[in-house]
Amino acid sequence: MVVLREGMCPGLDEDLVRDLRAADIKTVEDVVSSDIEELAQRCSVSYKALFAIRRVLLAQHTAFPVSGADLYEELLSSTAILSTGNPSLDKLLDSGLYTGEITELSGGPGSGKSQVCFGVAVHISYHLKQSVIFIDTTGGLTASRLLQMLQAETSNTEEQVSVGGGSVKAVIVDSVSAVISPLLGGKQNEGMSLMIQVAGVLKTMAKDFNVAALVTNHVTRSGSGELQPGLGVSWSHIPRTRILLERVERATPVSHSSMRSATLIKSSRQPCHIKEEFDLQWGSRSKEASSGKRKLDETDSG
Amino acid sequence: MQRSVSSLSLSPSVKMKLVNAGFQFTADLLHLKPLQLSKEASLTQQEALEVLQTVRREGGGGDEGGGGGGAAAAAASASLTALELLQKEEEMKSIVTFSSQLDAALGGGLPVGKTTEICGAPGVGKTQLCLQLAVDVQVPQCFGGVGGQVVYIDTEGSFLLQRVVDIAAAAVQHCSLLVEDDEQRVAMETFTVETILSNMFLVRCHDYVELLAEVHLLPDFLSEHPRVRLLVIDSVAFPFRQHFDDLSQRTRLLNGLAQQLIAMATGHGIAVAMTNQMTTRLSGGGQSQLVPALGESWGHAPTIRLLLHWAGSRRMAAIFKSPDHRGATVQYQITSEGFRDAGQSEQPPSKRPRTQSVEPAGSQRDASR
Repeated sequence: MVVLREGMCPGLDEDLVRDLRAADIKTVEDVVSSDIEELAQRCSVSYKALFAIRRVLLAQHTAFPVSGADLYEELLSSTAILSTGNPSLDKLLDSGLYTGEITELSGGPGSGKSQVCFGVAVHISYHLKQSVIFIDTTGGLTASRLLQMLQAETSNTEEQVSVGGGSVKAVIVDSVSAVISPLLGGKQNEGMSLMIQVAGVLKTMAKDFNVAALVTNHVTRSGSGELQPGLGVSWSHIPRTRILLERVERATPVSHSSMRSATLIKSSRQPCHIKEEFDLQWGSRSKEASSGKRKLDETDSG
Repeated sequence: MQRSVSSLSLSPSVKMKLVNAGFQFTADLLHLKPLQLSKEASLTQQEALEVLQTVRREGGGGDEGGGGGGAAAAAASASLTALELLQKEEEMKSIVTFSSQLDAALGGGLPVGKTTEICGAPGVGKTQLCLQLAVDVQVPQCFGGVGGQVVYIDTEGSFLLQRVVDIAAAAVQHCSLLVEDDEQRVAMETFTVETILSNMFLVRCHDYVELLAEVHLLPDFLSEHPRVRLLVIDSVAFPFRQHFDDLSQRTRLLNGLAQQLIAMATGHGIAVAMTNQMTTRLSGGGQSQLVPALGESWGHAPTIRLLLHWAGSRRMAAIFKSPDHRGATVQYQITSEGFRDAGQSEQPPSKRPRTQSVEPAGSQRDASR
């Protein structure tokens, strides 16, 4: 239901809009679905002008079908797969973050969502030489941590300064639930629609600009006591791929292991519920230290 | 991207009339006068005025805004590059806790511009740490402190003035022993117990409504008092754990409170410290675990989480969640001077009995051979 306004297309001026409105034609649908000849007679407007306007309005407001082959060609040429820098996560994501899609990372407090986001940002800007837009809603973005991760990749300060520079390839939102969950529930009716609107903006942006969108979400406990991502069932349809991060439970409750386990809970490319364990320190260590024992020694000295 | 009319906070009948008249997005409404709108959408003058006010207030800023996405943003936040953020961070200092081990683990102390939560069982020292921080934030800058004022919101009634005087006196004495040059000597003249007490703004809240109202009014207060560098809420759990029938409402209020605190921390450049209580969670196999209170979603609210707990007879502080520091556990103690490192006064006496007990056993074994 789009209201007719002057200037919407060439030839649609104020007088014409007024005449049409007098004939009870208010919206684009009315123009397109009515008989042009009869309308021209009723409003005493030229048939040719109305026909041209109708054509332009149709072109502006219709969706045109695309053949599958063309769509596939377009996808092949425009989609990029951005590695996250963490081989375990890449395995879960089928080799990385896909542009044009929303990927969601959920987990409890301290499970490492922000750390993974920092790692992805540093990896994309340093190794892939592309720019990243990081939207932080929790106050957890610390540039010194990004610097630490960057320094683990290269100790050359010149290289550190010259990262990025390409076009924006990734948009990371940490976290999307911190600003949306206060709006949901209770007597607030517009919270759900705002959430779906944010989702729509992210999806359109990812598709139109060919960027990969990575969002983080908090977790809640379901009735049976197990962890599930927050924001409810309506949000669960928005991201294409969802990963749940958890701390690996060791003996004492206050242990400081940096091991995390990632479970794939929704994916259109891989079987679900496959799990990978990884070490959060991958972002701040060089690639050589891979044995578990050496890591323990380094935590004492680091 | 435009914002749809159905997401505005208006009454359903008004929204229906707007949609029926063909208005889909707020952009369509921006350029209309109230008279035009009331005619086209068959609304009363009053309703049309209300609609336009809502649109201008919520939608107008968002369409042109900066880094906030599609939804409403009163002041569109400017985007920074990571390099600019790093430079800004290096100017922000941390508030020392006077326990050098904890400060080392936190990277200098409690960071300014972030929210920190201190959880622990009763009696482990949360209020003591808060009182220590309230004094430490006032240490002059030439001694490595922040030199700011503090707003202390007390919900439990655990703020003891005499204890603050003791901690303040100990801090003043500690700094006066460190005086090396003239600048520090001049600073010491303004760093006395009286000035420390006069730089603390104490608020007493009796229930959650008062707490929420106080936090709501704080930004204005902070704009009038730009020297405030620390906000302490002791405790945030106490008012929210009483008489709450609707737990989902509690979660919503807490999430909103968390966002307001984060906005204050980053917008006004203050550190926020909150204390939380512990509760028992029963997991599947009948095992119970001590976890911080206020639920799972509150765990995401503070940026840094400190867990104070007992290990036998020792007090331990664990960093449970932090964006830029690894998790670590350090030991601390509470003395008459306040929150300090464990150890200097304790270790020598404990060593002597241990060696005494080892020797007789050793000599006995020798004797038996």
